[in-house]
Amino acid sequence: MKGVLLSGGTGSRLRPITHTGPKQLVPVANKPVIEYAIEDLKAADITEIGVVLGHKGRDEIQELLGNGSKYGVDITYIVQGNPLGLAHAVGCAREFVGDSDFVVYLGDNMLRHGVLDLIESFQSGEYGAGIALQEVSNPEAFGVADVDEHGTVTGLVEKPDDPPSNLALIGMYVFSPVVFDVIERLEPSWRGELEITDAIQLLLDDGHAIDSHVVTGWWKDTGKPKDILEANRLVLEDKELNTVGVIESGATTDGRIELAKSAVIEDGAVVRGPVSIAENTTIKKGVYVGPYTSIGADSTLEDIHIENSVVIGGSEITANGRIVDSLLGRNANVKSAEDLLPEGRRLIVGENSQLKL
Amino acid sequence: MRVITHTCPICGTIVAANVLENNRVMKCPGFRCQEVLRFEDVDRDAREHFLENLDRYQI
Repeated sequence: MKGVLLSGGTGSRLRPITHTGPKQLVPVANKPVIEYAIEDLKAADITEIGVVLGHKGRDEIQELLGNGSKYGVDITYIVQGNPLGLAHAVGCAREFVGDSDFVVYLGDNMLRHGVLDLIESFQSGEYGAGIALQEVSNPEAFGVADVDEHGTVTGLVEKPDDPPSNLALIGMYVFSPVVFDVIERLEPSWRGELEITDAIQLLLDDGHAIDSHVVTGWWKDTGKPKDILEANRLVLEDKELNTVGVIESGATTDGRIELAKSAVIEDGAVVRGPVSIAENTTIKKGVYVGPYTSIGADSTLEDIHIENSVVIGGSEITANGRIVDSLLGRNANVKSAEDLLPEGRRLIVGENSQLKL
Repeated sequence: MRVITHTCPICGTIVAANVLENNRVMKCPGFRCQEVLRFEDVDRDAREHFLENLDRYQI
């Protein structure tokens, strides 16, 4: 079994964060989203991974992941270029995959329980593909699978008015290499892309059995800022958090706190977990860091009250105010305007930024 | 639709034909790889197919 990790896309829904980097590198609990996918594949004993890259963030992703050795895997890069659809991305991996079965994992998605159950279900029979499904309350907004009592897929329908089930496709798949011949026969859809659901439908039409696995733990597509905050909350709730850094006497801490070795919570600061604080970050006097917050590396916080937020790193946040439900990009600073005249807020805000003052 | 790729002989990075055709001559997109890749490296049959169906490989 090999892995194909899809890491293209423009990240337009995550602007301005993605103006300067790919969405797969946005951190959740101080770890890039794509690393969770690599770890899930490794946990399923998949050590040969093809990473499919688009136009954006090629170098940054390759620089982070390297040849995979630091994760105990072997990575081959596959440059798709134009976003011609998931099936095209999979088709580009044909030479890498060879005669193996393979898992397709979307590099900006996160699954609480990983892909092992999906793989084991696929391997329990003679299937052309296996698809991960999740029960949703609004199936008309998704690709939906119709399955029989054994979990074998009998049909797929995209955003149906009258859904045959409430089981939505979540974008995790296992394929046998027979899918490559099917992709060669696909025609681009109305949006000019080779659709993976069309490939699965063709497999069905050709008489291949399609397995399904209903995911019970959480699944997150981290495509939008609120999804990053939600994923951060979910990971911090589950993750083992270790305090290695310095908590000065006089600091107040409560709950689970991940504190990197070179991070400091100074006298007079209050931190209530679950929280993750990365390397070289200092939480100074007068700060309140509330639950479900991740503060990236090389940051300094002073006077601020912050909760349910993600600070990517390199930030200086020293205003006397409250920040909630926020995502701050790398090197973004929030300072006080109290002593400045004329009175008023000073903003230098990039394209596509969102502020609620 | 035929998916056409070419593999860098030095670093093993696999490159889709649309990337090669777009640049004709390019440095391999593999990180820190200095190999020069050309659209002409794709075999003739695949290249001709790609050019005959060029609009389908654009977005």
